Amino acid sequence: MFSSYQLNHDLYDEIFEDHGKIKEVYKKLFDIYGEHSIRDYVNLNEKAKSSFFNQGITFQVYDKEKTHEKIFPFDLFPRIIDPKEWKIIEKGSVQRSKALNLFLWDIYHDKNIIKQGIIPMELISSSANYLDQMNGIDPAGGIYNHISGTDIIKHNDGKYYVLEDNIRCPSGVSYVICNRTALKRALFGVFNHYKACSVTNYAENLLDLLETVKPNGVDIPNVVVITPGMYNSAFYEHSYLAKTMGVELVEGRDLFVENDFVYMKTIRGPEKVDIIYRRVDDAYLDPLEFNPNSTLGVPGLFAAYKKGNVTLANAPGTGVADDKAVYTYMPEIIKYYLGEEPILNNVHTYHCSRPNELKYVLDHIQDLVIKPVDEAGGYGISIGNRLGKDEISLVKKQLQANPRKYVAQPIMSLSVHPTYIDKSESFEQRHVDLRTFTVLGKDKEFVLKGGLTRVALQKGNLIVNSSQGGGSKDTWVLKK
Amino acid sequence: MSREYSITYTAENTYEHAVNDAHWQFLIIPEQNNSQDFIGVTFENSLNAMIEYSINGYGFKTIRIHPKINFHKITFTASFQLIKKDINPFSFDPDPDISKSYSTIDELNFKVDFDSFLRITHFTTLPKSNTPLFSFDTSNSIFENLKALNEWTFMHIYFKANVTDVETTLDEIIEKRHGVCQDFTHLFCALARENGIPTRYVSGYLHQGNGYFGDSQMHAWAEAYVPTIGWIGFDPTNNLMANTNHIKVAHGKDYKDCAPLKGVLYTTGRNETKHTVKVASQQQQQ
Repeated sequence: MFSSYQLNHDLYDEIFEDHGKIKEVYKKLFDIYGEHSIRDYVNLNEKAKSSFFNQGITFQVYDKEKTHEKIFPFDLFPRIIDPKEWKIIEKGSVQRSKALNLFLWDIYHDKNIIKQGIIPMELISSSANYLDQMNGIDPAGGIYNHISGTDIIKHNDGKYYVLEDNIRCPSGVSYVICNRTALKRALFGVFNHYKACSVTNYAENLLDLLETVKPNGVDIPNVVVITPGMYNSAFYEHSYLAKTMGVELVEGRDLFVENDFVYMKTIRGPEKVDIIYRRVDDAYLDPLEFNPNSTLGVPGLFAAYKKGNVTLANAPGTGVADDKAVYTYMPEIIKYYLGEEPILNNVHTYHCSRPNELKYVLDHIQDLVIKPVDEAGGYGISIGNRLGKDEISLVKKQLQANPRKYVAQPIMSLSVHPTYIDKSESFEQRHVDLRTFTVLGKDKEFVLKGGLTRVALQKGNLIVNSSQGGGSKDTWVLKK
Repeated sequence: MSREYSITYTAENTYEHAVNDAHWQFLIIPEQNNSQDFIGVTFENSLNAMIEYSINGYGFKTIRIHPKINFHKITFTASFQLIKKDINPFSFDPDPDISKSYSTIDELNFKVDFDSFLRITHFTTLPKSNTPLFSFDTSNSIFENLKALNEWTFMHIYFKANVTDVETTLDEIIEKRHGVCQDFTHLFCALARENGIPTRYVSGYLHQGNGYFGDSQMHAWAEAYVPTIGWIGFDPTNNLMANTNHIKVAHGKDYKDCAPLKGVLYTTGRNETKHTVKVASQQQQQ
């Protein structure tokens, strides 16, 4: 099966050592797969794909002119993470989530980290995601970023680096669970040779932790998931999470606010809602407080939140902390609030807002990745060594016109993993990353033991986001 | 001496086609503060829809209504009673150490604490120019400079109703040199902030008994923060310090934070809104 696998020694391969020896954790898998022909694999792969279609697990890709509905390409060759490495990832993800939570508390209260000169004031005062209305609000349990998605890569030095902390409405967790289901269906015999941690316990843990941040005076909280609706790219996930948590999936028009309490319209009459897992962006949450043209939100919701009558997860205004410019201060943020060294590495970042760093970026654009600070989903990223002459001068112009909007990082070499490629009907090296999911509750936290391994399906491509045509793999975290 | 005020705010909204669903939020209730003693409010609407009182994201009292029937026309009438204490806008000592005040506004802690009211917003963005429109003379106190800015704004802009609207930005105001209280206030805020002074946009009512400019609508003025003294009200539309005739409702970074009426409506076609404000007062013996 791997006879035609080409090992590029410049890349860090997740399953082969440099000299072509298979890594310990993959041995068994490799042996079992070796007993089969590529034809068997192709058949299995087709079966798994159709299972995704049949379950309606699709997402939307936004284009300039139109949107497309796609299935998320799934690769049957799983990624395996041994328990020792996982421990680092897990601890590192929790550390970052906790530090970001304390950071959010601080910048919406006393702002000590700015007053002490550790991070610049402009990070907040010029951030479109900083919500003045959140100043002085104490969210239930002191939690802002209940759910975080941490994007981690393995560089060619064999170390893990965090690329991004996503703490607005990170998506992808439903794919983790569906990938596992699909893989188990197709390859039950293989899966059984390994002792991998379960991922299907995500929903119950999420519900459990959300309930720790219920509003004061509520005994048994009523939880709902709010979605922008079926045209949202992650609608499948919203409905999946509601279903597996056993709670209602609602749209803005299903809720209303009366005397600063939130109610859901039901056939039995209004039912009070206490905790909202919201998958609607800040700007659209409440047309009376934020974007007045929003039809996705609930008029009066923010006043109910401010009064402490409803919990919103994540809290409004968390977006200010997943700004890519804040990312670059993560080592300082972790040290400041937790007194610890960062467990996971940060990628060195150049701030285009600083004149000398902007100059470096302009001079070395070929060796750098340029990212807008406030875009999610891989939109607007330029990779220096892939740009033509005209594109370079265009990017330079953009940088000079609006330096605050951009940061630059060295081009990281994401590790590669054997991935089945339809076109060549064989396994080829493709770049992968890992998104972990961390849930913070009051004095409790949970990290999903697994995560979403995203694959850039085009050869040599480094952008793994599903919106940019990436696929995914089941990710096995082995038990000790 | 103090004054008792009764204020009546009415709004009449008419729609070409029936409105199926509507939410309104009014930010029109006078604030309770050191100089304003709030007595009472009554609020009525022609549809007899239920009224709710709430607090908005910036901590100011709101009135919300959500009629549950279809309609073409709705009128709102709010009446407020309050007692306004006589305030002398000059009742503070002159700045004992002018240079210390200027160094205070330059400190990081000060800038962080007053960040919201130092920020440049959509309505307080000055057009790019090589020469500043108004620079402080640092040999004079901050208060004296603000008074001069108040007068400068008053002289620079001509009061003219119905030539600007709630969307008008400063580049147009500065070029055409006319506008209403909202425009005067935005310009004052922008220039004070440019000189490092935290300044907030204030919306409220003006008692026009003495022939001040206003327009039987809600009024706008500014409050600037002066170290060692606190927030001081300036009314650049009338070249006045805010006084017993100024009844404050709310403050914010600019008009957007203080819009008296916000609505979310599901209807099509044309619509029309008419507001009127009446402020009546009675002198009281203490």
